[in-house]
This record gives sequence, structure tokens and C-alpha cells, in this order.
Amino acid sequence: MSRKTYEPKEAPTLSPEVRVDQPREASKAERVEIDRPSFKDWMDLRLGWYGFVRKNLDEPMPPGVGWWQTLGNLLMTLLIFQFVTGFALAMFYTPSAEGAHASVKHITYEVGAGTFVRGLHVWGSTVIVIVTALHLLRVFFWGSYKKPRELTWIVGVIIFQIILGFSFTGYLLPWDQKAYWATVVGTRIAATIPVVGHMMLVLIRGGEEVGALTLTRFFSLHVMLLPASLLVVAGLHMFLVRKHHIAGPVVPQKGKPVPFYPDQLFKDAIVLVVGVGLLVYLAVGLPPSLEAIADPTGTDFSPRPEWYFLGLYELLKIMPTGFEVVATAIIPGLITIGMFALPWLDRSKSRHPGKRQWVIMMGMAVILLIGLLTLKGLLDTPPEHKKAPTNVEAMR
Amino acid sequence: MPHNEEQDAEALMSRRKMMGVVVGVINLGLIAVVGLPVAEFVTSPLQTKRKKVWVELMPDDQIAPGEVKEVNFSMKIVDGYHETERKYTVYVRRDEAGVMAIDPACTHLGCRVRYQTDKHRFVCPCHGGVFNDDGTNKSGPPPKPLERHPVKVENGKIWVEREV
Repeated sequence: MSRKTYEPKEAPTLSPEVRVDQPREASKAERVEIDRPSFKDWMDLRLGWYGFVRKNLDEPMPPGVGWWQTLGNLLMTLLIFQFVTGFALAMFYTPSAEGAHASVKHITYEVGAGTFVRGLHVWGSTVIVIVTALHLLRVFFWGSYKKPRELTWIVGVIIFQIILGFSFTGYLLPWDQKAYWATVVGTRIAATIPVVGHMMLVLIRGGEEVGALTLTRFFSLHVMLLPASLLVVAGLHMFLVRKHHIAGPVVPQKGKPVPFYPDQLFKDAIVLVVGVGLLVYLAVGLPPSLEAIADPTGTDFSPRPEWYFLGLYELLKIMPTGFEVVATAIIPGLITIGMFALPWLDRSKSRHPGKRQWVIMMGMAVILLIGLLTLKGLLDTPPEHKKAPTNVEAMR
Repeated sequence: MPHNEEQDAEALMSRRKMMGVVVGVINLGLIAVVGLPVAEFVTSPLQTKRKKVWVELMPDDQIAPGEVKEVNFSMKIVDGYHETERKYTVYVRRDEAGVMAIDPACTHLGCRVRYQTDKHRFVCPCHGGVFNDDGTNKSGPPPKPLERHPVKVENGKIWVEREV
């Protein structure tokens, strides 16, 4: 019996200078009838795998696309890292007011590689926020959110919100002083909203006060709802990115599109090395700490949120009495609405920053506001904070 | 030098291949950076060292030769992140040779065997394994005798040694 060979269907390659030997294309009926196909061919006939890989590797990159377009890939990789380390941490973590602190202590100081695994997860959140901000700013300044990529932008803003949700809920889980007090203050923000504020506070906390039910609520959001939502919207985001392709530089450059592989993928890989390198450096150099167990008594602890919420925290501090809602809901709300509405606020046809000055000015003003307030927060360390034990060694 | 298109194409292909290899190596490195520590982390129970501890069971004079008694006791153990009291059961048996402590876990699949005083035998409720009163397997699926723990009699008390 003669054995027909199966050759995968080649997607048209974009770079004519790269010669890929084009085999004769077998008809679908012919291909399915092949005797004893190899495992790879058998799978391909059912999944269309070769075509999928080839299509993605040959994704056209407009000329001028380069290092700035590597951030999405880095972000995706860092999120996968969070998922893997988070799954491992959840094996040892106990989401209860009695067990949480002890289990995080056990993870950090007793389980093999625990300090590093937790360090990757803790510092991962910081690096992810930085990379998300850079990714978002790149899209903002390049005007890449314009038609037909409005939905890609909106889904991206949702991803950004989910990432902040991860940070806020994850911060409580170690159940130490820092976690507890940051959550007490952070959730109080909801209470400043007129009319529904108190109801929201109770819903967020799972009760009037931050306690055992807040912890289980945050844990459930952190490991169930948020990852599931992220998976769906991140998948949609990537589908849209591939569907509408990457927006090139604001002023189209001369030249033909080049395939994603190898040049852009290579740049992606280099940026991954730098980004993950930074993460590992932080995880090793500044291992995660654990303060004393959450203690609702005592007045000597100065609550401080994670650094990327410091801007909001400082904004609240400078607001005059009675106007808290401006800092807690109105300004953040307007910024969020502005982000979602950006593709419609910016109606200019051109993506060039010079041709959409007021949007750029507004964006710069927001960035400056957040930047300055964050800086103020970073420099303004309350002296009492230093008295609090910095890590678990102090309590041993 | 004459321009050779074939050579150009070949150079391009090898560059493509080269970059592919570098990307592959980087990806493997990234997988290792997160995969190896996570593997060590989740497999850390394999590294846990158990230690042997002596526990007091009962007064020596409360068990007569030929008797088998079920004794419950508890031990302080470290269970992951917390220290706790864990309860155990052991069968204490005395014969002419002395005292022995028989573990109630059936050697087939670990169900707890019950002692039948009238028939002087242990019976497993799960798959009908039967053991003699000294713990040796008599019939049914159990492949070997019930485990015995080291015992000692000191100052009129029976002690058993257990791994925790």
C-alpha cells in the first residue's frame, strides 16, 4: 500500500525574500484519507495547529513597530507567572482570620523556596502595575485606540481595572498589620459615596467591620472571580489585537510589513528577559516581609496602602473636610470614565499627538497629578510607621 | 563580488533559525525561573522529616495477659502551618512475651480494623480482611501483618513510640 504524505497548508508568507518551499496542497478529503499519519499530522488535521501557529508567526508588523510593542507580551507573561505562583501559594495558604497569618509565615520561612515563590508573587504585582501603565501610556500617546481599535482599548481598560482589583484584594490576604489597616482605610473609601456608601461598605467588607468575612470575600474574589474574568477579557483583548493587527507608528513609515517572527518575537523575548530579570532581582534582593498579625487594637500603626494607591491616598489627605467624596469617587470616577470614553472624546482623525493636543494635555495633567501625589506619598513616610515591627523576625 | 540571491536567501533562513533558537532558549529559561521554584515549593512535603516520639498510653496493670485493648491517645504535631493535637488509636495486647502495640490501619487499604473479643481476631470492615490477635494476617486481601509500634514499660506505665 502506498503511503501518501501529508504536507501542512502553508499560510502565505509575508516576506518574499524568505523562501519557504511550497508543497503541493492536498485537498481536505485527500488529507483526511492519509494512512497512518504522524501524530503531529493527525493532530493538525483536527486542530489546524500548523495554520494557527503560522498565521500568528506571520502576523504582519507595520514598519516602525519595535520595542514599544513588546509590553503586551511582557504583561501576559507576568500574569502567567502570577497565575503559576498564585496556584502554588494557594496550596499552603489558609483563608481564615485564625490561619492566614500563620500560613503565610509558614510559606515565607518554612516551605522550600517559599520566600522566592511569594517574592515573585508580591513583586509581580508591582512590576505588572508598572508594565500595565507603560503599555497603556504607549497606546495613549500613539493614539492606537482609534477606529477600529476602540474595543481593544476598552477591554484593555477593563484588564487594568481587574489588575487593580487583584492588587487590592491580594494585599489583605497575609492578614498582617499592613494588610489589615490598608484594607480598613481602603474600604472606608466606599463609605464616602453619598446615599449608597454604607451599603457598599458592608458589601465590600462582608460586614460592618474588616474581619473574617472580609478575608474570605477578598480571597474568593482574588482566586476565583478575578482570574476567571481576566482569562476571558485577556483572551478577547488578544483576539482583537490579532484581528485588527498592530497599529504602526503615528506617521506611517515607508516599507513593507514584516512578519512577527523572527524580528518582533526576538525583541519580545529580550524584553521578557529584562522584565522577568527585574522581577527576580526584586524577589531575591527585597524578600517579602510579614508584619505582626492583624490587630484591631492599638493606635500606633499608621496605615499605608501599596505604593500605586498612594496617589489616591494623598489626594484624600489634601481634600478639605466635607469634600472627601471628590477624592474618593468623583476624581477617580472621572478618570475611569475618561479612560473608557477616550476613543470618543478624541475625535480627531489623526493619531499624531500634535493633532490632538487637548487630549494629550488632559492625559499629561492626569499623569502629572498621579505622579506628583504618588511621589508625595512616597516621600511622606509617617514617623510612627517605623516603630511598628517590620517583619516577623521582630515577633519571634 | 557577484550578487548571489541564493546565498542571501540562505543567510536569511539561517538568521531566522538562529533567532528562533535564541527565543526558544529564552522561553525555556523563563519556564525554569518560575517552574523550578514552584516545583520545589509544591513538592516540599516530600522533604518533611518525621521524628519518633514516645507517648504514655496506660498503666501497665490495667491489661491482663491474653487481653487486647483499644487505646486512644493524642499527640502534639506540627501540621503544616499550625501545631495541633492529633488523635490516634492503637490496640494494646499482652501475652506471655510481653506487651505489643498494634496499629489499627489495615495493611490492604488503610481502613481501621475492629477487634472481635469473642473470636480473638481483627476484622477489616472494608474488604473483609482478617488478622489474628497478634496482628498477623489470616485471610482476605491484606498482604502483610498489621504494623506494630515499639512499646516499653517504664515506672508502671506502657509507652508507645510513634512517628509524627
